[in-house]
Amino acid sequence: MSGVSQDNAVTGNRLTRALIYTVLIFFVIYYLLPLYVMVVNSLKPLDEIRGGNLMALPQNWSLQPWRDAWSAAQIGVEPTGLKPYFANSFKIVVPAVILSTIVGALNGYVLTKCRFRGANVVFALLLLSCFIPFQIVLIPAARILGLLGIAGTIKGLILIHFVYGIGFSTLFFRNYYAAFPTELIGAAQIDGATFFQIFTRILLPNSGPIIVVTVIWQFTNQWNDFLFGASFSGFDSTPMTVALNNLVNSSTGVKEYNVHFAGAILAALPTLFVYVVSGRYFVRGLMAGAVKG
Amino acid sequence: MAALTIENLKKSYGSVKVLKGIDLDIEDGGFLVLVGPSGCGKSTLLNTIAGLEEISGGDIKIGGVSVDGLHPSKRDIAMVFQSYALYPNMTVAKNISFGMEIRGLPKSEIMATINEVAALLQIEDLLGRKPSQLSGGQRQRVAMGRALVRDPQVFLFDEPLSNLDAKLRVDMRTEIKRLHQRLKTTIVYVTHDQIEALTLATKIAVLKDGCLQQAGTPDEIYNNPANMFVASFMGSPSMNLMRAKVSEEAGQFTIEITSGAATALTLPVNGIADLQAYVGKSVMFGIRPEALTDPDGSDKKHGAEIVTRAAVIEVVEPAGSDTFAVARLGGIEAVARLRADAEVEAGQTSSLAFNMTKAVFFDPETELRIR
Amino acid sequence: MKDRLQNWLPRLVVAPSFLLVLLFVYGFILYTAYLSMTNSRMLPSSEWVGFANYTKLFKLRSWDTALKNLAIFGILYIVICSALGLFLAILLDQKIRAEGVIRPIYLYPMALSFIVTGTAWKWFLDPGIGIENTMHAWGWESFHFDWIKNRSFAIYTVVMAAVWQSSGFVMAMFLAGLRGVDNEIIKAAQIDGASGFRIYRRIIIPLMRPVFLSAFVVLAHLAIKAYDLVIALTGGGPGRATELPATFMYSYTFTRNQMGIGASSAIIMLIMIFSIIIPYVYSETKNGENR
Repeated sequence: MSGVSQDNAVTGNRLTRALIYTVLIFFVIYYLLPLYVMVVNSLKPLDEIRGGNLMALPQNWSLQPWRDAWSAAQIGVEPTGLKPYFANSFKIVVPAVILSTIVGALNGYVLTKCRFRGANVVFALLLLSCFIPFQIVLIPAARILGLLGIAGTIKGLILIHFVYGIGFSTLFFRNYYAAFPTELIGAAQIDGATFFQIFTRILLPNSGPIIVVTVIWQFTNQWNDFLFGASFSGFDSTPMTVALNNLVNSSTGVKEYNVHFAGAILAALPTLFVYVVSGRYFVRGLMAGAVKG
Repeated sequence: MAALTIENLKKSYGSVKVLKGIDLDIEDGGFLVLVGPSGCGKSTLLNTIAGLEEISGGDIKIGGVSVDGLHPSKRDIAMVFQSYALYPNMTVAKNISFGMEIRGLPKSEIMATINEVAALLQIEDLLGRKPSQLSGGQRQRVAMGRALVRDPQVFLFDEPLSNLDAKLRVDMRTEIKRLHQRLKTTIVYVTHDQIEALTLATKIAVLKDGCLQQAGTPDEIYNNPANMFVASFMGSPSMNLMRAKVSEEAGQFTIEITSGAATALTLPVNGIADLQAYVGKSVMFGIRPEALTDPDGSDKKHGAEIVTRAAVIEVVEPAGSDTFAVARLGGIEAVARLRADAEVEAGQTSSLAFNMTKAVFFDPETELRIR
Repeated sequence: MKDRLQNWLPRLVVAPSFLLVLLFVYGFILYTAYLSMTNSRMLPSSEWVGFANYTKLFKLRSWDTALKNLAIFGILYIVICSALGLFLAILLDQKIRAEGVIRPIYLYPMALSFIVTGTAWKWFLDPGIGIENTMHAWGWESFHFDWIKNRSFAIYTVVMAAVWQSSGFVMAMFLAGLRGVDNEIIKAAQIDGASGFRIYRRIIIPLMRPVFLSAFVVLAHLAIKAYDLVIALTGGGPGRATELPATFMYSYTFTRNQMGIGASSAIIMLIMIFSIIIPYVYSETKNGENR
């Protein structure tokens, strides 16, 4: 008797598990489909897209769209391809990420381990700055960049990304260092370590994970930025996202969908690469930025 | 000369007063234990001595010199932390030598000191390891090694054994005591464990709510507690405290313990002159479990003062070397410490011997000792 | 002397960040607030007009559209992302063997730029070459899907693309929340005879209120700031049908040269975000201090 009901339970279980897997696989397809469409169609000649089926595999495999997107496509007025813009993005993002990470680490150290009067106010102001809609700063930021003589330059964008990255970097490091044993700081003080020695010799060597999280978070956000790029970049400082949008939404000429798809993948590659290589830290960063913020 | 003098020390966080005017000193080479329940301010006191926390008032002198405003590294102290606070990114050797390195000592001297201390603590074969590869006891040794190489005027220990398991704790306790006997350096030691306090200290300071309750030798603290808090905090199982009524007849004081409908228990009291003021009133009568025994196991040295009374035994707890019994004395619960082979059974009435030379009395209002 | 310097060092270290943020965030907010009270057009002007820009703003058809679109987009985006995220998290929490493969696939869109997402979905939804065309090619001749070109439905395509991008992340938040639930509570419920479904409904989901709150705050914040996705997907069109406050602000300020009105719309956006974020941050930091 009990054996029968046991069996029923198992078959019922098997059915639900099959259902669960079906649903999960359906959503795997859902999330992968746009990527599939991008990849497949970036490898087709244009007439195959226009005359054919977006889902179908290429009949004539072609790398030409990638070559075009990289070095020949018309962006703005010049047929340069996305290559210079790809480089621009790196030139902007790398210094800004490094700066905001270092400054965030120092802030996190001070705000957790060297409490001073007003520290809470400083932190609250930095924290709140993470969440402002950037539209609110566009007009004055454009003026300041003009006053500093760095409007429309790489330097100007580095400054902007750095400044608006301080909040999140500080938040990450502060939360990490808050859990860092204060006794270690006391021990180092008794050992005679100075303020900066404690930072470089004790804290930093133990900050590996949070440095990775911060760098990934800042890199992803800054690489994917569009608003600042669109507002403050000039002729030779336009970042990748803005260039891609110009390519896709240019009203002149034939719509080269295959080139657009190739360009979109190019724009996504650096962040996708970071995600694949260090997905764990990427998720941790998202969580830290969201749940704790 | 006093190695450490604390004068009217005050510490507050905002409006919260953590230390309310502590006066305390310890002689050169002494072993001062700060003991008290959690939140009593003992760790804060230690941190202010180390200079890790600023003081709000009063003064701290190390070797006769005020250290107010002095950086922790310049106070000639070394500290062993509760969590050991070993630098996780450094090897054991680096952990021990970090301070010397910061002070710019020559390499050869650093190496010699590391080896010396490692030999003393028997951690030579651990020098290349990282803290994460060490057991709790090994970390403890390394933390002590890091303090030893400073060769300070005063060692500060912040509950150093509280993270160890019971057996290791006893071993390390002995080791710390041996180390102290050998080095003869002044130690200030924080613990919440009253056994540690009694075994290690040359002087114990009992703290509660930021106030010093009593400071004295372990014997003074245990046998002559200044108030009810000290009496009940020190000792395990803790002292039995019972409300009792005092009466006098021809110069002989008698106390009567009674509660509800239970039969009263009366005991004679000698040698407590101040009880005169309490005749006809209540006092708190205190007697430690080891002064409340089976008659055969009573302390014969005090023959004249041993008083035997019958009591109902409620619970019997054999503990190997002794047997503890929960008894009703005039209706109030009390713990007696019997010999292991004492023949008692729960629910039965047995005779208990009261060693009245060990009895103490407290004012129920002020909780202070009546002498 | 040296000790004194050590005491001031911490303040000196945070001072630059503090001053930068004070200027670039709070100073700029004040400046934008000031501009919103002037009749600035292409260039900032100092002519004070009080709240005239705000009155004008709320009479504008396109602002009205932007607000309505934000309501539709925001509500659908938050509700669908949360429901889908929770649903997928619960499914993935059933000791799925391939979880290590599936989870990263659900989450990778979050690594993409909204511009990339917008580009992919723009052509995927395009009736000429996208899904409609594909269905026709597969023989479903009557299949019709042109929302992206339809004024009344275009905003829903923005929802689709945004949900695709963010729901995996919400799933990850919920999954972390589910994994954080004390196992003993679940065991106790099982011993009490509760079924799997009931355990989720009565015990686990109520325990995840903080995650719901976090998800809501993150999504609401993203929704109000949403700009790139609309630009890349629809360009705000067809017509102005997918206008959102963020795109409105940009076009009024920089292409229509109505800086005063643009600034006032930015202030409204700030008020919307802060009315969600400030109570949240306040309660979070308060909890943090108690911890």
